Amino acid sequence: MAADGVDGGGAPASEPTPAAVQATAPAADARSAAIIAGLEAIQPRYVLMLPSGTLRSILEHFLQASDVQTFPVPREEEGIGILSGLVLAGQRAVMLIQDNGIGNLITALATFPQAYHVPMLIVVSRRGGLGEPNSIIHMVSGRIEALLEAAGFRYFQLDGRTPIEAWTSTVVRAHEYA
Amino acid sequence: MSGGALSDAPVELQRPEALEILHRAFPDQPIVLTIGGTIREMVAVCGRRPNHLPMLDSMGLATPIGLGLAVGLADEPAVERVIVADGDGSLLMGFSVLTTIGLLRPRKLIVVLFDNGVYLATGGQRTAAASTDFVVAARACGLRSALIQGAAALEAGLQTARTEDGPWLLRVPVGTVAPPTPFFNADPVVLRSDFDRWLAAKRA
Repeated sequence: MAADGVDGGGAPASEPTPAAVQATAPAADARSAAIIAGLEAIQPRYVLMLPSGTLRSILEHFLQASDVQTFPVPREEEGIGILSGLVLAGQRAVMLIQDNGIGNLITALATFPQAYHVPMLIVVSRRGGLGEPNSIIHMVSGRIEALLEAAGFRYFQLDGRTPIEAWTSTVVRAHEYA
Repeated sequence: MSGGALSDAPVELQRPEALEILHRAFPDQPIVLTIGGTIREMVAVCGRRPNHLPMLDSMGLATPIGLGLAVGLADEPAVERVIVADGDGSLLMGFSVLTTIGLLRPRKLIVVLFDNGVYLATGGQRTAAASTDFVVAARACGLRSALIQGAAALEAGLQTARTEDGPWLLRVPVGTVAPPTPFFNADPVVLRSDFDRWLAAKRA
């Protein structure tokens, strides 16, 4: 089980950003391309999605892919159930969500896939970082790491501190070792 | 077909008998069991079976899990149907799944909704089932659906759902007579492993 944060990838270009972050953070399109490359290497047959502006180009990539069935799920915990069933059926599947939905899935993730040892990869976009204009998002998104750790969910963060060259392999390995 | 509103007639079918009918109709197909009495009563009427996936504590997830199985096994000829034995409280907890079933239209999925109108395991507090027409809601989302009243109708309804493609939601009103059954607290990893092995052997 793993969650990947795409930190601040959705920030508008005009948003004031500290110089240090500007200097180290790869462009959003490079980040999306790296995530797409990692997910493509997994060869999912199904991609479950909730909306995310940060992940938009990734979602559009898989919505247009002819060999992948990409479909929306209305809530994160429902997605956990469907993803579990797909994995139990022997299918390769991943889910893409944003981090303010983590609260919706904690019980579902803990009591079924975690308890029954059903491996899965969930790519989670980061909100609540620098450049997030919606102040309410920070109320949950700023505490995501603590929530994941309290629940005992393994996660790997991808942000400006991780060289872009390592993003794709991290996604692939997170799936492989889930 | 008419809608699925409940009549005022007393419910004669009890859940253990209904579960036994379900087991007899699908002894060799995957069945996801929702939490609580549904698991204990199924074990009481037919024992632990590896084609049954008991969901120990994930209320609201039985039908989503069954949906994932039905989609993932759509092209698997060894599996005819994927059945979910759900309850009204459990389905209502994740009612949005009906819309996803309607979106994906897995023809093998049969959701058998054992509707006793209450949260029986916690003392019988009522759910919103009495005021919810599950059959109309399911049809509005794109499922095939029917109200099934009584043992004979359940046998016939399951036979129809076996021979005619779904996705199906069968609303089965059941009573609240719950015979004493031992607590079921098996290791979930063992449950999953038994189910995995059963499914792998069936597909081999």
